[in-house]
Formats: sequence, C-alpha cells, structure tokens
Amino acid sequence: MNPPLLEVSNLQVEFDTYGGTVKAVRGVDFNVEAGRTLAIVGESGCGKSVTVQALMGLIPMPPGRIMGGSAKLRGIDILGRKTIEGREVRGAEIGMIFQDPMSSLNPTMTIGDQIAEPLQVHRGYSHRQAMARAIELLELVRIPEAARRAAQYPFEFSGGMLQRAMIAMAISCKPTLLIADEPTTALDVTIQAQILDLLKDLQAETGMAIILITHDLGVVARMADAVAVMYAGKVVESGSVDDVFYRSSHPYTLGLKQAMPTNQRDAVQKLMPIEGSPPDLFAPPVGCGYCPRCPHAMSVCATQPPTPIPVADAHYARCWLHHAQAPHSVPGLYYGGGHD
Amino acid sequence: MTTPVSLSPVSQSPVSDAPVLNPADFAPITQRADVQAISRPSQSYWQDAWVRLKKNRRAIVSLWLIVGLLAFAMLGPWLWQIDPARQDIDQISQAPGAERSATVVAPYEFRGGQAQAGFESGTGLRLGAEANSQAVRLLWDAVPGAGGYRLYRNIFPVDDARAFGLPIAEFPNPQAGYYEDRLDLRPDTYFYSLVTLNDQGALTDDYQTLEVPVHRVITVDEVRERNLVAAEETLAVGDEVFLALHPLGTDYLGRDMLARLMAGARVSLFIGIVAPFLFVLLGVTYGATAGFLGGRVDQLMMRLADFVVALPFLLFMILFQVVFGIGPGESGIVPLLVALVVLSWPSTARLVRGQILQIRQEAYISASRLLGAKSSYLVWRHMIPNTMGVILVTLTFAVPSAIFTEAFLSFIGMGVAPPTASWGSMSNEGLATMLTHPHELIFPALFISITVLAFNLLGDGLRDALDARMRSFE
Amino acid sequence: MWQYTLKRLIQGIITVWFIATATFLAMHNVPGDPLSAERGTSEAIRANLAARYGLDKPLTEQYVIYLGNFIKGDFGISFTQQNRQVNDIIREHFPVSATLGVLAVIFAALGGVLWGALTALYRNRLPDTIIMFLVILGISVPSFVFAALGQLTLVNLNALFGISLLPVAGWGTVSHMLLPALVLGMGTMAYLTRLMRSSMLEIIHSDYIRTAKAKGLPAARIFTRHQLRNAILPVITVLGPAIAAITTGGFVVELVFAIPGLGRYFVQAVQQLDYTVIMGTTVFYGAFLVFMVIVVDLLYGWIDPRVRLQ
Repeated sequence: MNPPLLEVSNLQVEFDTYGGTVKAVRGVDFNVEAGRTLAIVGESGCGKSVTVQALMGLIPMPPGRIMGGSAKLRGIDILGRKTIEGREVRGAEIGMIFQDPMSSLNPTMTIGDQIAEPLQVHRGYSHRQAMARAIELLELVRIPEAARRAAQYPFEFSGGMLQRAMIAMAISCKPTLLIADEPTTALDVTIQAQILDLLKDLQAETGMAIILITHDLGVVARMADAVAVMYAGKVVESGSVDDVFYRSSHPYTLGLKQAMPTNQRDAVQKLMPIEGSPPDLFAPPVGCGYCPRCPHAMSVCATQPPTPIPVADAHYARCWLHHAQAPHSVPGLYYGGGHD
Repeated sequence: MTTPVSLSPVSQSPVSDAPVLNPADFAPITQRADVQAISRPSQSYWQDAWVRLKKNRRAIVSLWLIVGLLAFAMLGPWLWQIDPARQDIDQISQAPGAERSATVVAPYEFRGGQAQAGFESGTGLRLGAEANSQAVRLLWDAVPGAGGYRLYRNIFPVDDARAFGLPIAEFPNPQAGYYEDRLDLRPDTYFYSLVTLNDQGALTDDYQTLEVPVHRVITVDEVRERNLVAAEETLAVGDEVFLALHPLGTDYLGRDMLARLMAGARVSLFIGIVAPFLFVLLGVTYGATAGFLGGRVDQLMMRLADFVVALPFLLFMILFQVVFGIGPGESGIVPLLVALVVLSWPSTARLVRGQILQIRQEAYISASRLLGAKSSYLVWRHMIPNTMGVILVTLTFAVPSAIFTEAFLSFIGMGVAPPTASWGSMSNEGLATMLTHPHELIFPALFISITVLAFNLLGDGLRDALDARMRSFE
Repeated sequence: MWQYTLKRLIQGIITVWFIATATFLAMHNVPGDPLSAERGTSEAIRANLAARYGLDKPLTEQYVIYLGNFIKGDFGISFTQQNRQVNDIIREHFPVSATLGVLAVIFAALGGVLWGALTALYRNRLPDTIIMFLVILGISVPSFVFAALGQLTLVNLNALFGISLLPVAGWGTVSHMLLPALVLGMGTMAYLTRLMRSSMLEIIHSDYIRTAKAKGLPAARIFTRHQLRNAILPVITVLGPAIAAITTGGFVVELVFAIPGLGRYFVQAVQQLDYTVIMGTTVFYGAFLVFMVIVVDLLYGWIDPRVRLQ
C-alpha cells in the first residue's frame, strides 16, 4: 500500500478568549489517500474547521496556538511551514474553498483578477497569461460566457456562481489536495448538487484528493470514500464510508444517523434528536466527551478518556463499549467480527 | 470493500495500553445530571456589560476622572471659597507657585533728589533709595556736553541692538537729575537706561544702564484693607506678610485661576452634559416615533431631519448666537444650550429610527404581537431596552463634541459672555498672554483635553462592553 | 451613475434652498431693527439697503427678493463697509480659506490612511501604541490649543536657530501655509487614523483576506491589493463631513495665525453684526459644503464598483 498523501496525527489547537482557553482540537488523527475524498463530519463547534485551518496555517495567532501534533504531506510536516519541495503549500499544494462564497471573495476586485492572482504569484505568469488561464478555469467550472464574467465583480455573481469561481481559484495551480470547508452550506439545495457534481468531476479529471468538511450526512454519502466523525475536538469514529454508515461503531454516529431524515418509504422510525449539548471546551471533560449525552454511558466513560479501538480493518471507534470487558449489548452498534 | 483511506491512531495498540479496569467500571450510569443544564451561570445583558467594562482599565480610569471632574465643579467651590470674579491687583498674571511675600513699609512720600541714608555716594546713574515695588528712585550726575536725557525701562538687559524698552521720562535740562518711577512695578528685575540727548533733543550714542532688582512691599493700610493678617495682629514697618494664595496663579485681571477653573468647569460641564442629554432625549423620541409609525409620516419626519443635518453646524451655531442676542448681564449659556439641541438631535433620531426599524423586523416582536401585546408595551418592553446600549454610547460620545463646540464658540468670542468663565473663554483670554504667561492658556486647555479624553475613552469602553457588533478592534 | 449624479444634484439644490431659507428666517428674528441708527450704518448705506432688499415691504416679498438675488448669484452689499459687495468679499477671501482647507484635507487624508495602516500592521506593538496615544491626544485637544502651541513652538524654534524657519503668522507664500494647514488638519487626521485602523483590522478578520491567505499570496501583496483598497472606502465616506469640519475649524486657525481668510472675515462680520455678510457667507459656505459632500459621494461611487455599477 502506498503511503497516504496526508497524515495528520495528534493535532492539538487552543484559543485564548475572553472567557479562558478553549481546547478546540484535542488530538486529531486522520489520513488522506491521493485522489480520494475524506469527509470530516460533526456538529458546529466540534473542531472540524479549526483542524483544516491549522493545516493551511490560517489559525490567527494569537489568539490561536497549535499545541502539538504533525501534518505530513508526502512525508513532510507542513505545520508552521510555508513551502515544501520548493512549492508553496497554500494555494499551490493545497487549495481551499470556504463556506460563504459571498464574503470570501474580495468585493472590489474582478473575478478574473482574483483567479489569476495565484497563477501570477506561484507560477510566475504574466497578467495577460494568467487572465487567459483564468477564463479557461471559469469554463472548466462551467461558467457560461467566461470571458465576460471574468471582468465582473463578485456582487454581480449569484452564490452558486461565486462558489464555482472559488473552486476555479482553488484549483488554478493544480493542487494535490483540495480542502472544501462546508462548500454547499450557504447554497440552495439544487445548486448544492451541481457544486458537488462539479467537485467530483474535477477530482476525476485532475486526480486531486479532497477533504470535505460537512455536517450533512447526505453530502457525505454522495461524495466521500472515507469518513472521520468528530465530536468535542476529537475523531470519535473513522473508516470507509460504508463502515461508518452501515457498521456504525460509536453511539454518537448512531445518534447522528437517527437524527437524519430519510426518504425511504418503509421508514417508520421517528427522528430522534440527540439530547443535550456538546461539552464546554473551556473545561474539557476528563473522560469521554460524549458521556453526558450517551444513552449507553458506563462508569469508566466519565473518568477515563477512551482510546481508538479497532473494530475492523481500518475502522476505529473511540469508545469504551468496544473494550473487551464491556458488555457488548448495545442494540444497533456494530462490534466488529471478533465479538459477534 | 477495501478502505482507501484509513485512520491511523497515534497509539497503535490501544487496548494493551489501556489502564487496568475492573468490571464495576463497565456498569451503566443510572444517575445522571440533567444534560440540558447550562454549565456556567447566566448573566443579564447589563451584568455582562458591566463585567466587560470593569475589565477595561482605560474606561474605568476615565470613569473615575469624570467623577473627579464633576466633584471639582460641584464640591470645589465649597472647599476653595474664592470669588472667581475678584481681582487681586497685587498679583496679576501670576504664575503658580510665585513668591508671595511682601515687606511692610511706610506709605509713599515724595523725596525729590534727596538720597536715603546709605545711598548718598556714587556716580552716574544710581539708586537714591532702596528699590521696591512702591517706587524706584533714580539719581544721576550731569554728563558733560549733554542737552538733556531720556529715561527708559526694560525687563531685559540692553543688548547691542540697544532695545532700551519703554521710554518713561524725558528731561530737557543737562544738570544732574532724579526720577521716581512708580509705574506698575512688580517684583522683578528692571533695567533702566539713561540716554543722553544732544542740544536739539535728539538721541546720542551715549547711554548708561542700571540693573535694579525690585522687591515687593506693602503698606499697613493695604494689608488691613485686603485682610492679609488677622485684625488683632499688630504690624510694624519691616514686618513680612504674605499676599493671598493662588495655587494655580492668576489671570490677566488678577483673578484666581483655580476659582475660575472651577466656575468654568460648572459652565463647560453643564453645557457638555445637559445639552447632549436633551438632544439625545429629543432625538430618541423623534426617531422612535418615526420608526414606530413608519410609512409616510416616517418619510416626512426623516426628510426634516435630513435638512437639519445638512445645515453647516458651526455656522448655524454662530448664527443662532447672533439671533438670540446676549443681553447685558446674561451669561449666554441658555442660547448656547438651545442652539446645540436644535442643531444636534437629527443624528440620534436617525440612529434610533434605524434601530427601531430593525427591531420591528425581528421575530420576537411578531411573536409578542401575536400574544396580544399593545404598541406601548412593545415600545417600552422591547424596543427601548434593545436600543438603550446604542443610546448610551451615543450620549457618551456626544459629551466631548458638545464641550468642544462650547470651547470653540467661546474661543472665537461667540459663546458665553464675559465675565462668565468657561474653559473655552478662559483659553481665549489666555491666548493673548500666551507668550509671557502660558499658564493662563495651558490650564483651561488641559481641562478641556482631559474631559474630552475621559469621555472618549469611556465611550470606547462602553461601546465595546455593550455591543459586540459595534466593537472596535482595539 | 448619471441618474444617481442628477438625483444627488437636485437633492443638493433643495438642501441649499433650505439653508438659504433657514438663514433668512434666522436673520429676520434678530432682535431690534438691523437698520436702526444705533447700528451705526450711514444714511447712504441705509437708503441703498432699503431699496435693494425692499425692507419696507412684507416679509414674504422680501423673501422672494432675497431668493431672486441668490439665484442671480448676488449676495448683496455689506452693512458696515460702504459700497462693498459681499460677492467681492467672498471672491477675495474665500480662495485663501480654500487653499488652506485643501492643504489641510490632503494632509489629514494622507496622514490618516498612512498612520491608520501602520497601526493596524503593528497592532498592539510599540508603533501602534505610540501612534494611538498621539491619536487620542489629537482627538482630545481642541484645534485652538494646537494652533497656539504650534505658534509658540515655532516662535521658540525660530529664536533657537536665530533665523525664521517658517513665518509665525500671516499669509502669502507656501511657507506661510504649512503650519496652519498642519494644525487645521490635525484633529481630522487623528479621527481618520482611528477610522482607518479599525477598518483595516475589520478587514484583516474578513473572509476574503482568509481566502487570499489560503491562496498563498505574500503578505505584502495581501496588504496592498486586498486590504488597503477596501479599508480606504469607509475613510472616503467620511471625507465629506471631514471637509466640513476642516472648513469651519479654519475660523480658529485663521484667527490665531492672522490669515485673511473668509472664516476670519465671518467672525469679524458676526462681531460687527454685518447682516448681509453673515447671510451671504453662511449660504455660500452651506452650498459649498453640500457640493463637497456630493463630490465625495460621487468619488466613492467611482471607486467602489458595487456603487458604480448599480
């Protein structure tokens, strides 16, 4: 097996705020294979955006701090570095698109100029060359009348069009990894599907890997090859998309699935919200972060932080329920082959 | 299915590393805390704002400064009971901490050319008696060939450029002469120059100069008249008495600076605080009415506000001062106040109207309406409290600009009328003597600056504490 | 854009009309008869004025005459100086005030943008602390104190070097203009510095700067291409009021530095109750300011594509 394109291990990020220090990311590990898509799933505030911003060096410091861990792109740690192998990490090696395309583009600069910028900076294109390439890129992301559109300003674009322009900008220097931070959250449902299809097609064309941050399990099912579920600053379950969806091994993943509406005709189950709210990360819990909300919590959960326990090949769950001494009696929870 | 993407945890064999656990650890938790409970105590909007304001050291220092300034204006005149209008003619334009001692002497009497004991000998231009602030008595011998003399006085030594200073007397005869200078003498060093005139009475190059240190003296009658010592105390010539104390010196009319600064503080702070309070009140009422009524009335009301905003502010302030006309004996405070209110309300009105319009759109207003709330309830319970923060910040920032306006107008002579003191009018008076007695300008200017600074910093702090959306990135 | 310009101009004309009316009404409420003998106007001037303004006619008729004269661009004749046209007074003294004002505005705007950008770049470090301290001083110290202190400093400097570095007062050459313009622009510069700083800091935290960073642009390019241009926009919006503040603030500076500008003339006219000069100058200044605000708004529209293209 080839080494993964990106290996993140034990990443920890803190923020100083008015109220104290927030431990937003408390030891996150995941890998991304070349050409594949990893979805990072979790509710608001679970640390998924902070994780990828740390990779890109976008954490404002201060008040932010990277407390430890590493992120190796092709074996080289990129945390705190600007270039690897002579190439700029940001913009050239890794492209990134954001949640709100309306506010993520400079309002007083033409779309064309903004797409051309990374080419001029990283590739040394002249302004004319870069603009020509920018128009090609706009065509590639299926914006009609690309040449005319390139001379327009962001306020003249619709949300979906802007997100396409963002994508064109992010892939302009042919990055090996594209990070999409909730790329469709701010868009209409119909536009969402178009953007996701576009990302898939571009991935097939260019062979780049994608990290997709989302809280929408529908998007995950549609796009991802692998999934990492985050809760309270930690990855609680990870594995292939089938493993996580059909053989969910963490009570939180189960809860998420039960809280998701389905369009299956025979669905008789009621939507089950997860009671309570995530823990206060000013004072992170001693044991498992999900313990106060977990219907299956045990004494150990409140006192000891669980470590990742393999339930199958490349499928891990950070949950005491998988411990050899645990009763293994939770309905619906997948315990792996060894314990059935 | 193969898993192309895998999670590789740091501890690859977690189970073996796990702490030793016993079966009791795996018992389900039955007793659990209410998961809906919020872990930290909740604070009301104002409590939260107060906590944040208290953390802002600059704002708190400013708050104390403002309290101090108010105390200076209100309580000061009780502690320092000197009439700000009283003129101390012995001490005019006196710098703070100047020498106040005076020697008691006999009343002035004319001596003519008669030299005092101990001053009989000497040649040229010389003193005929001990020089003091009562009189400087000069004697001189005849200069051969002279047609007459002219006497000058200066406070600087005579240099090559021959600036002799003030000509005080001219003598047409060439004999030895005398002069008694009693013109506005202060405890200082004077340089007298006697220039020889020729037969035609024109100046010649020949002159002699004399440096005369003058010390302050006072007669018994003057001491009694000014109550400088207790009535029962006896006084004799040669005793030393002290003139009235002026901790911050006196102005060009000999008025006590400290007392005037206190009186000025009353005027400046009164205008600076009352005027904003009035126009913010007017603006809030107007803006809230317009915003709440909406529609055509709102359009009409705001059009009027737009026009008032378009008036050039300071020009119309001046114009209003002219229109009101300050009659004899009036201080001019009321016209200033009225003009400020009439011209300043629209900005608050616009702000409050905007806020009200915004709040009207909020879902909780609709919800309240659906529950049967009356308009007056909506205004008092929801709209006013939600705009209170913005109003308070506006009010705080309105104070320094009102103080500036008063100072500006008084400075160009269109503000309060003399003899009423305000910091602005004091600065105006101080400007004339800026080069020789800078303290007369510096003190009132300092008070204006400190007040404006304190209100500005408090306003910044309030804005940061009250509304995260308006927070400046300090 | 043309439609917008036209709309603004019409609004401006209505505003000027309002200013003229307010001035007219204000001046006609001055206690006492402006033409009474105790005002010291000579017989000749009085007759002249009465004929010109129809002072014996009812108020509405006077108002019509007054407006008619303004439309013709005739501001009348002085009350206190025989046969002196208010137009001549404005023509003679306004260029002086305008020169001083323009210099001060340029100084304030350039300084404000420069210092504001610097403080944002060095946020919470020594240059920021020093500049912000000076800014707070600049906002809290009245202009006449700056004027007096500036003059005092210059006197002492001239004495120290034994030569006249810059003239202490008066008007005529560029060297006369420097210190007054500096003093006049000081308060506005402090205000603009603060505005520029908070605008810069707001933009540093904006999403599109994060995008620019994610694109891997060098800090210098982000600063010049993305931050500066967007941060200047709010500064431009307040230039209109800033020009108004500087124009009227000029009264004091002209007074202290003995500059023969319209502001100093206006203050004199007010002290002498020269009504036509007061009215004429007020309306002229008012119209000038309304016009300047429109120019600034149009300038803003030209710079910000969001306004320009809508």
